[in-house]
Amino acid sequence: MIPLPTNRDENWRYANLRPLAKARPDAVADSASGTAASLPPPLPGFERWVFVDGRLVTSPATSLARVLDARAAGDAFAAQLDDSMAAAGVDFALARINAARGDQVLHVALPEGAAASLELLFVASAGAASGTSYPRVQLHVGRGARLCLAERHLSQGTADSAINAAIDAALSPDAAVEHTRVQNVADKASCFDTLVVHVGERASYSLRTVTLGGSASRSTMFIKLAGRAARCELTAAGVANGTQTHDVFAEIEHAAPETVTRELFRGIAGDRGKLAFNGKIIVREHAHESDSAQSLKTLLTGSGAEAAARPQLEIYTDRVRAAHGATTGKLDDHMLFYLLSRGVERSTAQALLQWAFIEDAVSRVTPGALREDVERVIVRRLSDVASLGLLEAT
Amino acid sequence: MTLLKIENLQAKVGGKDVLKGLSLSVNAGEVHAIMGPNGSGKSTLAYVLAGRPGYEITGGSVEFMGRDLFSLEPEERARAGMFLGFQYPVEIPGVNNVYLLKAAVNAKRKAADQPEVDAYEFLQLVRAKMKVMQMDESFLSRGVNEGFSGGEKKRNEILQMLVLEPALAVLDETDSGLDIDALKVVARGVNSLRAPDRGVLLITHYQRLLDHIVPDFVHVLARGRIAKSGGKELARELEQRGYDWVLEVA
Repeated sequence: MIPLPTNRDENWRYANLRPLAKARPDAVADSASGTAASLPPPLPGFERWVFVDGRLVTSPATSLARVLDARAAGDAFAAQLDDSMAAAGVDFALARINAARGDQVLHVALPEGAAASLELLFVASAGAASGTSYPRVQLHVGRGARLCLAERHLSQGTADSAINAAIDAALSPDAAVEHTRVQNVADKASCFDTLVVHVGERASYSLRTVTLGGSASRSTMFIKLAGRAARCELTAAGVANGTQTHDVFAEIEHAAPETVTRELFRGIAGDRGKLAFNGKIIVREHAHESDSAQSLKTLLTGSGAEAAARPQLEIYTDRVRAAHGATTGKLDDHMLFYLLSRGVERSTAQALLQWAFIEDAVSRVTPGALREDVERVIVRRLSDVASLGLLEAT
Repeated sequence: MTLLKIENLQAKVGGKDVLKGLSLSVNAGEVHAIMGPNGSGKSTLAYVLAGRPGYEITGGSVEFMGRDLFSLEPEERARAGMFLGFQYPVEIPGVNNVYLLKAAVNAKRKAADQPEVDAYEFLQLVRAKMKVMQMDESFLSRGVNEGFSGGEKKRNEILQMLVLEPALAVLDETDSGLDIDALKVVARGVNSLRAPDRGVLLITHYQRLLDHIVPDFVHVLARGRIAKSGGKELARELEQRGYDWVLEVA
């Protein structure tokens, strides 16, 4: 039995792991009963894979991806996690549990120069009492290959599903991955995930992640810029209302010269919601001429809300550029007064400013169809702006 | 009809008395210019009228269209027909100009028990007003004042005013930072709003704006109160003789 991390661990301080502790760790046994109804429309130009409670239910006729028996694929993944852990000092317990319990892994291998667009739809259906689901994806992106990956986690029904997902990706030199992940599971569900990415020479990894649903979520990310001039763009957005807890730990390691990171987080905590983004950037001794920039901002809109934006920099060489900024605050008084002075209702003005705040991150979501989907969810949450036609073209 | 009636208004900012017994009436159809040296309380007057937080009213009264102004929230004042043109318009990235205009127009209509504005008619109206202000349509989809030059911000203020059609426009140094061409455009916008049922309170440091927007009355604000009032010729006199002359007389 692999023990779960605890809040005593600084890197897990803000995470709410109770839902996972309560859920049965065994994988959901009967995937045959899982059918996916009323799914969102497919993203144009993407081939769609649908998983229910972590198991495949729909796959395209032909694909560069295939589902493997996780037991066989597990050793390599576990070995890679061991390497990452040694380097990062992060507790990857959740990924280890995923590796130990999950029985399917989607393996995507893009040969040199290939291009693909995949939509991975992970549908949670079963309640936590029947088990945990273990979505798991491995990506091997060949030299110069391009992958667009849309990863979506959502619920069918209102069950308190427990999800423990793991993705590992290796990008060969000159590869480019645009990875978008949207988590909007049911209110009572909880979603935990681990992401380990290895970025080769001149390769580019771009991740846009939007966290909206569930009672609790935690993303643990470790991205290693392993080759010269490797690049990572990480954009994260989260909205925590009610009693939601969303926690992100993102560690990016500059392990080679001329590597670049651009990191942006925007989070809104309302009601009694809790949000945390812990962005750690490590620049190794030989990673000279590397360049990193972090902009982490959280907005508190509820009297019982909590938010923490923590940039951390560990730099072991002089020849680097590293810029970081982190703020936690309330709505800007000047902006609010300006809108009020135009007659806009206070609640509408506040919603507009929240929208603007989160759009800073959400506007970067690709493809456009997925971004609009995310924006619709956010606009529904900010009900006071629903009638302004925010999503209409002007 | 009296739009605005200020009587013996006293106000504090940051614990300091700035307005010290200011009285002024603006009737429908009138344009009043308020001039005065730096620090005389011009911008404070504008903010107090619009209801900006941080300004403490310590005495006097203001009636706006027959209502006690200070019993109204800033947004209620706007919906009742007051408009403040900011000296330093605020940049709000992510809130498009068109959303703000629409939110403002709909809030006003809702307050008047009118249905929400039709999207097509609204855009037609905004486009027509943009033409007056010589603004490119691309402004609509940009964030409010985001990355605008000083002149563009001021034009945008006047555009908002034209769309909202206020009963009383309080324009705080709308001429500052404008070159002569932009000044003419802004003046044309303001003049197009002049009507028998509207009033304008024009706060300015310089006389040149008043060549283009000719006021009915000119007041000199000094040391927190109106030190001198007169017709449009007073502005010229101030331009020639400076403010010291008024201060000495006062």
